[in-house]
Amino acid sequence: MNEWLTENWLLVTVPVVVFVAFFIVALWVRGATYKALDKRLNKASWQGSQFIVQTTKTPFFHWWLILGAFVAIEISAMPSSDKELAVKILGSLLVTSLTWVAITLTERLLRFYMGKIEIPLPSIGLTVNVVRIAVIVVGVLVLLDIWGAPTTPIILVLATVILVVVIATRNTILNLFSGFELMSGNLLNVGDYIKLESGEEGYIEDIAWVNTKIKTLGGNIILVPNGKFTQTTVTNYGRPLKKATKPFHFYTRLHLKELTGLKASNIAELARILNEVPDSVVYYHTHHFLEEHQYLTPEPANDFALWISDAIGDEALAEKLASIDIFEFPNIGALRTRLVSVINEYLSTNPNSRVAPEGREFHFIKSTSVILPTAYVANDLREFIQVLRGITIDSLYFHVFESRLRLQKGTNDFSTWLQECLGEDDLANKIAKLDPYNYTLEGLRSAIIQLIEKRIK
Amino acid sequence: MGSELLHKSAAKIPDYEPIVGKNTIEELRMLADKLSGKVIQNVNSTFSGGGVAEILSRMVPLLSQLGVDARWDIIQGTEEFFEVTKKFHNALHGKKEKLTTADFALFQEVSQKNIDDFKSYGDFNLIHDPQPAALIARKKDMGGKWVWRCHIDVSNPNKKVWQYLRDFVVQYDAAVFSSPNFAQQLPIRQLLISPSIDPLSDKNKELTSETIDAVLHKYNLDKDKPMVIQISRFDYLKDPVGVIQAFEIVRKSIECQLVLAGGTATDDPESEEVLEKVRERAAGNPDIHILLITPGSDIEINALQRAAAVIIQKSIKEGFGLTISEALWKGKPVVASAVGGIPLQVKNKLTGLLCHSIEGAAFDLRQLLSNPDYASWLGKNGREHVRQNFLITRHLKDYLLLFLSLDYTSDLIYL
Repeated sequence: MNEWLTENWLLVTVPVVVFVAFFIVALWVRGATYKALDKRLNKASWQGSQFIVQTTKTPFFHWWLILGAFVAIEISAMPSSDKELAVKILGSLLVTSLTWVAITLTERLLRFYMGKIEIPLPSIGLTVNVVRIAVIVVGVLVLLDIWGAPTTPIILVLATVILVVVIATRNTILNLFSGFELMSGNLLNVGDYIKLESGEEGYIEDIAWVNTKIKTLGGNIILVPNGKFTQTTVTNYGRPLKKATKPFHFYTRLHLKELTGLKASNIAELARILNEVPDSVVYYHTHHFLEEHQYLTPEPANDFALWISDAIGDEALAEKLASIDIFEFPNIGALRTRLVSVINEYLSTNPNSRVAPEGREFHFIKSTSVILPTAYVANDLREFIQVLRGITIDSLYFHVFESRLRLQKGTNDFSTWLQECLGEDDLANKIAKLDPYNYTLEGLRSAIIQLIEKRIK
Repeated sequence: MGSELLHKSAAKIPDYEPIVGKNTIEELRMLADKLSGKVIQNVNSTFSGGGVAEILSRMVPLLSQLGVDARWDIIQGTEEFFEVTKKFHNALHGKKEKLTTADFALFQEVSQKNIDDFKSYGDFNLIHDPQPAALIARKKDMGGKWVWRCHIDVSNPNKKVWQYLRDFVVQYDAAVFSSPNFAQQLPIRQLLISPSIDPLSDKNKELTSETIDAVLHKYNLDKDKPMVIQISRFDYLKDPVGVIQAFEIVRKSIECQLVLAGGTATDDPESEEVLEKVRERAAGNPDIHILLITPGSDIEINALQRAAAVIIQKSIKEGFGLTISEALWKGKPVVASAVGGIPLQVKNKLTGLLCHSIEGAAFDLRQLLSNPDYASWLGKNGREHVRQNFLITRHLKDYLLLFLSLDYTSDLIYL
């Protein structure tokens, strides 16, 4: 051995010197390069640059050493088979190092950026693991290639597996990418009130990895796949509106018909009994048509007018009674006075009124209202619209007709709340001025919703 | 006393949701919740046969599904007792009946036995029609609220029978009638609860065109010729001959056919006589079809109504006339006499046409057969009118409201 070294010392010394030289140069180059990089990157606004520096600083030195070893081996007098083995080992070290750098760098960048857009931790972990596995697979494939293992079948198998997974999870993948778009595009934010074309609406509670969580005004949670946002029209109403000082509690009103046993067979009897019956009787005969025939438009006449037309056949008086505008009256007493005075005035010039045929007498009926609270509550205009769309016509009827006239509140409940609890005087006035008797109940519902929608747009 | 605690019914509460809407069902559940823990005891005279049994067999299971403890009992009686109550029934309808002192004594005797045997467990006792009306005698010792539900047309009752019955009725907390013109001068509350149809029953459910065609084929009816139809038993009060006369006027100018479909009542000897007269009047006219429908053929009646161009009900006197609601529910234009409960269902020129004479009926038929768009508009309104006012869900709601309102005297009740 000593003899061989004595004869071939140069063959050994040169590669060693070259390697040492590379070592020294590596130290200097790394120092100079990273000093320059630090200066530049400090000026740059890209925050991710610091990760590149931190991650590559040590491996950079390793790569120089591997390069030095490679050059040393190439110029050495080693047998070619040994050289080949040594190069493979160096290549493997380099690939391993690059793989580690790739994993570390992507992980840091992913955590940094995904953290910025408030993706939940489990989702970040899942992404990092997926990327880590992908980089390792690539690294292993390159290593196998270095060592001469057949990689084509493995690549084909992997490609097939990936294709199958992609096809099987295409919706999830679509949702993933849509999620990225939603989160990065600032189109939707947690807290926004949105409405999808398919009808779902509510406040965004959370934009997650695959789904977006929407909380409806009724308190239900809807999970909408993120992919749906790219396939449908979404209206973003923005942030919550002003909250009312007191919420609006929706009530409903159902009614029983109570027979009084009183009946009239001519107009004079009608006027006499009408003057004596309770308000609830007058209310019934001037309002029940609205609920029972709410699908009809225009507004049908009150029962008195209909009976005088159909059973008595006195069209002139029927017309006078039918044309009384109920909206003008603040309470039932005033309405009754008007009805009776119209009939009496007519009787003073037409005293011989006809008699209704047997079985066609006017039967006086009393309305008994049963008022119940519903589960629906509104705190702002948007919630109010949402509830208003879904309540029964009985509920709408109660708050608009019954409150104003029968409970003698002067105006409808909606206007009172809008004015007193939301300070929406203008909107309150507009709704109060709507003549509800000119609409079907569904038409009235639409008219009120339109006014409020116009206000919040 | 017989007791029926559970009845089977094919229809479930959620089945009605597509028909009446989610909100209506929600309202029913809300009302039913308020009656939680209360027992509603229905009492009538039979579990099967007749309109009361039919409606109870549907209502009781539906109330149970809503969580209301509704039960159903019947009174016991001899054949003679039920013959007397049949006379009561006819007399209350305004028909001439000979009622003797012995009849009233028998009624009292059997009623007393039922009173003694009656086990009242209801917070609300709903007593149907005159047969069990005397059970009110147990109100003092049993407590609870008692309501008399009158299903009979008492607009023009036999005074003697009504006065006898009235003595029982006034002891109740409330009475319920089906039509405003049945109302009486009573010192107790009188509620108006109209009868109803069940949209899921064989008589009213949707049918396939194959089923309808099969029924038309069975009765040799021409499906391509506009059909005017009256469905009712053969009775002078339904004026079938008047319908034929109106049809004959229409037929002069419009190609169409008339169908008079119904049955004869076994307890009414007049009905055979009426049928014979109708057949004589229609003889020789190939466009008039007299169909004798066997009881229980609900799907056939449904099919005939659905095949009709116009449905007519030219009654001279009518109770509530629920066949009108059945016709309107099928979206058919209706021509009907303005009698009994018909004007509640047919609002003239809005949900159908009301007539007062043969000529008027003929005029209305011509209007509808010549103006399909107008006929269709009336039919559409009529269906909505029934959806809103004459379906079983509205009937359930009214009963629930009735029970809830019994503790209050005000006409504004906050629950």
